[in-house]
Amino acid sequence: MRESVSLLLAILFPVLAGTALLVVRKKDDRKKMLAYVGVVLGITGALVINALTTKETEIVLFELMEHVPIVLKLDGFGKLFLAIVSIIWILAGCFSFTYMKHEKNEKRYFGFYLVTFGILVGLGCAGNLITMYAFYEFMTLVSFPLVIHNQSKEAVMAGLKYLFYSFFGAYMALFGLFFLCRYTTTLTFTAGGTLNMELAAGHETLLLVAACLMLVGFGVKAGMFPLHAWLPTAHPVAPAPASAALSGIIVKAGVLAIVRVVFYLFGADFIRGTWVQYLFLTLALITVFMGSMLAYREKVLKKRLAYSTVSQLSYILFGIALLNPVGLTGSMLHMIAHAFIKCALFLCAGAIIFQTGITNVDDLKGIGKKMPLTIWCFTIVSLGLIGIPPTGGFISKWYLATGALDSGIGGFQYAGPIILLISALLTAGYLLPVTIKGFFPGDDFDYDKLEKCEPGKWMTVPLVILAVLSVVIGMFPNGLLSYIQAIAAGLM
Amino acid sequence: MLDGLIANYGEAVAVLLFAIGFANLLLQKNLIKKIIGLNFMDTGTYLFLAEKGYIAGRMAPIVVDGVQDVNRYINPIPSGLVLTGIVVSVSVTALMLSLTIRLYQRYHTLNMDEISTILKKEEI
Amino acid sequence: MEIIRNFPCFSLVLSMCASIISSALNGKWARRLNIFVISAIGVMSACTLYFTFVTNQCYIYKMGRFSAPWGNEIRFGNLEAVMALFFSVIMLLSILGGRKHLFVEVDPFKENLYYVLINLLISSLLALIYTNDLFTAYVFVEINTISACGLIMIRENGHTLEAATRYMLMSLIGSGLLLFGLCILYDITGHLLMSNIKEQVLILAQTGQYHIPLVVAIIFMGVGLAIKSALFPFHSWLPDSYGYSTASSAAILSSLVSKGYIFLLIKIFYRVIGFEIIDESRLFNVLFVFGLCGMIFGSLSAIRENDIRRMIAFSSVAQIGYIYMGFGLSTETGMIASIFHIFSHAATKSMLFIAAVGLTDASGKSKKFIDLTGAGYRNVIAGATFTVGSLSMVGVPLFSGFISKILFAQASVSVGVNKMLPTLIVLAISTILNAIYFMKTVVRIYTPVKSDYPKIPWKQDVSYAVVCICFIICNVVLGMCSEPIVDLIRSGLAMFA
Repeated sequence: MRESVSLLLAILFPVLAGTALLVVRKKDDRKKMLAYVGVVLGITGALVINALTTKETEIVLFELMEHVPIVLKLDGFGKLFLAIVSIIWILAGCFSFTYMKHEKNEKRYFGFYLVTFGILVGLGCAGNLITMYAFYEFMTLVSFPLVIHNQSKEAVMAGLKYLFYSFFGAYMALFGLFFLCRYTTTLTFTAGGTLNMELAAGHETLLLVAACLMLVGFGVKAGMFPLHAWLPTAHPVAPAPASAALSGIIVKAGVLAIVRVVFYLFGADFIRGTWVQYLFLTLALITVFMGSMLAYREKVLKKRLAYSTVSQLSYILFGIALLNPVGLTGSMLHMIAHAFIKCALFLCAGAIIFQTGITNVDDLKGIGKKMPLTIWCFTIVSLGLIGIPPTGGFISKWYLATGALDSGIGGFQYAGPIILLISALLTAGYLLPVTIKGFFPGDDFDYDKLEKCEPGKWMTVPLVILAVLSVVIGMFPNGLLSYIQAIAAGLM
Repeated sequence: MLDGLIANYGEAVAVLLFAIGFANLLLQKNLIKKIIGLNFMDTGTYLFLAEKGYIAGRMAPIVVDGVQDVNRYINPIPSGLVLTGIVVSVSVTALMLSLTIRLYQRYHTLNMDEISTILKKEEI
Repeated sequence: MEIIRNFPCFSLVLSMCASIISSALNGKWARRLNIFVISAIGVMSACTLYFTFVTNQCYIYKMGRFSAPWGNEIRFGNLEAVMALFFSVIMLLSILGGRKHLFVEVDPFKENLYYVLINLLISSLLALIYTNDLFTAYVFVEINTISACGLIMIRENGHTLEAATRYMLMSLIGSGLLLFGLCILYDITGHLLMSNIKEQVLILAQTGQYHIPLVVAIIFMGVGLAIKSALFPFHSWLPDSYGYSTASSAAILSSLVSKGYIFLLIKIFYRVIGFEIIDESRLFNVLFVFGLCGMIFGSLSAIRENDIRRMIAFSSVAQIGYIYMGFGLSTETGMIASIFHIFSHAATKSMLFIAAVGLTDASGKSKKFIDLTGAGYRNVIAGATFTVGSLSMVGVPLFSGFISKILFAQASVSVGVNKMLPTLIVLAISTILNAIYFMKTVVRIYTPVKSDYPKIPWKQDVSYAVVCICFIICNVVLGMCSEPIVDLIRSGLAMFA
């Protein structure tokens, strides 16, 4: 009883609060609205923490169709996801209090922002495939207004691209779901998979095709090649805190879905050693390399960060595709680290746009002198993303590389770490110039014109917290690591 | 094959009529000709039904001269169906004709394609 | 309890009498009578459903004095009752939703005629649902066509006249084929009552006698009804007649009229010929191919369309394609999926038409997309309804469209690969296409713009708002509690044969 109430509350409260904000028509009293949003975010955070303390039980809400119930079930992995979601969402929310000042229609933004929060909590709690699919679709829909927020033609086109890619991916996944219905004992997520081996015998090829479709389909959200193109289009047009949330969390929803499918439905053993695994590994590696290359060549800061997301997400997918505990541990660690880091990077980009209006990397000369705190944060998290100890990125990449070497899959065993390394160098190549140019603008820089324009504390505090978090998980990873290793061991 | 046709010449004619009517309804451009085709088609069907209900050498199922023997009469149901069908096709034809009149008054042509072209230009 | 057995007959007679009486009343009273009659039919159908559900068997009601092989019969079970109930609910909602427009678009002197037609239409639909006699079915098919034609052209302009003519021509070809097939069937079996025909057909199938005429009859009837229900490529009349007729007419035509024919076709499959024999005749394969084509081409035409009403109409073509594709799978699960889709599509499509009317009202009566920009803010309730309808069409979970898609997919997984793959692939493509044009519209109606058109608050037309909310509830109920409905369909199909 307690479990169901606390889970439902954590899902419904932000959804209802957000809807109320969207529906209620009032005079634009900005302060009151922000206070309301802040309170809602706080309460939701508390509710999520409350939900995190519950035991793992299966809660059947109602039956959508015969044998297709809507189930909530919060397991270890879901809790991890929920924790990241709430941290990022609350911090990015605080950041938007100031940032959204220069955008119109703030009420709509915050309304959908809250609704999306609730849906994401639901996604983490989803106990079976249909429930997850439902939340997944809703997530696409409610995050869509965040993408098209400024409603320029460009933004709407980008939003539609996002929508269609997502629907297409979701439908491919649904495709696989139809097959799975027949060959599994249950669609409820169970560690180790639920395939009914007696029924599945003789239909392996079909099931592998289904698995492949689901991986590629959910991979759309995670920006996996060949369906990654929405990401660099959608991110730059969204308001900075929205793209931070998109990049930090929404794309992780794809990762969550893939983990659910691979480890909780098919089971790692079924996929290990098949062409699906090789395909998955290949796609992930291609994406890692390609994303970094594209980011390296990109001049617009937010776009560069978006390409970087494409590349980094595939680190995570690569770890999953290795199908061994070490690789999975690395993936989950990188999921956490990347969420903090990428959120911080986008928020920095947002702060720069908000204060100076600069979007292009080449114009950022001397920016470190103008807004030192922001660029310091940027530098710290950049180092994290490159993977320099003692940041979080180092640990996760270490595990990923070890996992690849342990896996013993011919070719990928060595190709994997090498590509990861090259990509890390490229990461350094595309992130550090901002810092370098920012702090060392060169001799011809005119210091007289320089004026401090550090953003307000609603903007800097989330940045600092995120930067600190990204370092902390690298310096004191043991608690987190043992938690993740327990999950990973339970899945193999 | 030929024997079969000759033995069932009534049905053969009915099917032929139906086919002629069908082709007219589909292919003619002129609305009136289409309606004529429609009537051909219906008539073909009724002929078919009547032919099927008729048994050579028997009389219409109306009791006269006190003859009660079933074997003296033909099957009455197809005739009843034909009557009902005629009522239906008359009403449909009337409706079609009235539509045709309306269209003609508006566009002064009976050609469906021409009407469509005029309509494409006309905006509501 | 006993009296309930008479209800289907009562509702038929009631609606027919009402149509005769309406012709003598003025518009206002005709409307009241009509609403009363439809509500009464709804209540009676609900009672019938309760009756068949409790007794769990179908009931045969003798019309007139003669019994089985000669007389005329009504036969009802779960499926018929739930269909009748659903049709009357949708009918009522559509009429109430488009009420305001009737006053404007229909000549005041003709208003009572509109209700005459509506009453005729519902009586013919009920007859198609309930009757157990093939020739009666044919007669009511024609009545249905005539009244539908009247509903199209009651708003008099060039487009509707042309559309009505095209509709009539297509329908006449269809009913000609149906009649001829029916005559051949009568010829080789000697019966008109469906159950008796089936006994004879079974004997014929066993002996192998009259094989070719039987197949010809099946194909004629199948193709005839498919033409009448606007299966691709016989849909040319559809966009104009849905696009330019008055709102209630469009909603009723798209959601009910074609469904009546489809229901008759299902009846022919199960009760007249028998499922196995139809399956052997390969008719299903033909329907399958055309259904698939319809799904794709309907959506493609909808994407190109620049007029919201016509876009929804083209989407109907695609949805009819879904239904025939379900038939084409030639399994019971496929049939159940199709029947569920009949419900789901009827609920959604009428909802979309009614919502579209609200949106065009808020945009100076223009149906062009450019003028519709921001209409969702000007008429909030219509915007919300349209959004829900679109989401359902795209197949977002918790709405009815998702359930029918899942049902179709589940059905297709259980048939052989050569039907499964095309089904799943076309379902996927069509979902994407649906998403393209519906989401495009939703985005457009929620794009804020400085507009000269005034806002329409919901208080201005309370009944419209209520209707919209009923539609939304209906859709969500179908989407969230589909299990009892699917059970009902399954038990109904079992009673059907």
